[in-house]
Amino acid sequence: MINAYVLTVMRTGNSDKAIKEMRKIENVEKISVVAGEYDIIIRVHVKSLDKLLKVTNELQMIDGVKKTTTQVIEKEIAL
Amino acid sequence: MKIRRKYLFYALAFTSAIISAAVAALDATISSLYITDPWAFGVSCFIVGIFISLLILLIFSIPVKKGKSLGSKIIDPSFKRIRLVRKEEIKYHVLAGFGNAVLTIGYFFLLSMLGNDPSAVIPFAQIVILYLIIMESITEKNMPTLIEIQSSLIVTFGAILVSISLTGTITLQSMVIVFLVINPAWVLFSIYQRKLKMLKIDGRPNDALNIRFWNVAFACMFTIVIVGSYDLATGNNHFAAGITASIEHFWWVALSMSIIFFSYVFYIRALGIGKASITQAVRASTVLFAIPFSLVISYFNIIPPFTTDPVMILIKTIGTILVILGIVSFALNLLKAYVFINVKPGYPIEETMDKLWKIHGVTRVAAVAGPYDFIVKIRTRTLVKGYERIIRKIEEIDAIEEYKWQSVLKEWEKI
Repeated sequence: MINAYVLTVMRTGNSDKAIKEMRKIENVEKISVVAGEYDIIIRVHVKSLDKLLKVTNELQMIDGVKKTTTQVIEKEIAL
Repeated sequence: MKIRRKYLFYALAFTSAIISAAVAALDATISSLYITDPWAFGVSCFIVGIFISLLILLIFSIPVKKGKSLGSKIIDPSFKRIRLVRKEEIKYHVLAGFGNAVLTIGYFFLLSMLGNDPSAVIPFAQIVILYLIIMESITEKNMPTLIEIQSSLIVTFGAILVSISLTGTITLQSMVIVFLVINPAWVLFSIYQRKLKMLKIDGRPNDALNIRFWNVAFACMFTIVIVGSYDLATGNNHFAAGITASIEHFWWVALSMSIIFFSYVFYIRALGIGKASITQAVRASTVLFAIPFSLVISYFNIIPPFTTDPVMILIKTIGTILVILGIVSFALNLLKAYVFINVKPGYPIEETMDKLWKIHGVTRVAAVAGPYDFIVKIRTRTLVKGYERIIRKIEEIDAIEEYKWQSVLKEWEKI
């Protein structure tokens, strides 16, 4: 299984509608609206890199999404 | 379905609290009318509980559509089907099961000592919040903040005040049971169930349904050992009385154990989201839900009637307000953030990862491929603490070249 963070920059004015669309995507595990360089951080859980490409593509197709940067998790420690 | 994590947490903890209050009233009725021996009641709970929990688990293992089970659809999405305990779970189940066995026997003792009034007994168990805060500061590298200590004290004192009103008396023996038996046992039960919930089984989060079933099984084993040893030492016959009670009053105990099964499944799921002390603080709302149930069983003369003394009513009202205030204060004070980190070349990744993980308040460290080298998730009660305890420590790590702090404003999570 592959976990990744998709760091998203949004165009102003469309965030609420875009978040509603993001919540419908199956492999999206968590959506965090943040303050800083990025606007939304999305955690994705997929079976393969192909599937990851499909999810990032779906995210980029959402109206309001300006730019995405994908960070694939290589190793993780969590509580 | 994706909902805000906070709402899910409160929904689970409050549902667990309401069910728990209803079961406490049912237990009080059984203890008052049918099984008056607390040792025997403890034994019968777990013996009947194993059969009932197994039956519920089998029903929830029935596959529905897309290979998903009934339990995964309606109770816990992490659940697949009934399974055996994994090697890595055994030590946690042993400790949580022992905790459950001791606290259950202690609880029934207290219930029989305090006139079978659940609204008087349940609040005492909430003192466990203080124990949990101390334990968490040791085991989860998460020192309590002033707000956490304040809120816990408010909930605890409120819970104690609510408990005084009905009988108006507190004995030394009951205090010993509360402070030295029930609450330390609850700490074991709660901390190790949380550890179980945080484990990954076959790459998926551990499920609350299997955790509950195996907890009942381990608790049953310990109850038999504890009650059996006590009988041997004192020449009593509580164990045999427990077996007899299990047969004679099977349906009453089965009803209680089947309802409490769901209360604990929701409690375990909440434990997987929030810290044990905070889950317990929200679940302390059970003291409020216990009052109407106590009034109902008091109306049917199962327990003595409620006092009409205005001072006692005032004390109970103050206690109730304190519990609500404490819970609200917990709920409104939690900050989360992501920190994106780039490291200098020439420093081993594993070593830097360990250093980041050791910082208080860090809940997740991910080594990533992309523009950044690490993404760190942080949980803190205040921004000041975030700076003093987290940012300063990050800056002390030589390998770190630069970092970016991103405060979380709102969050949704898949359930």
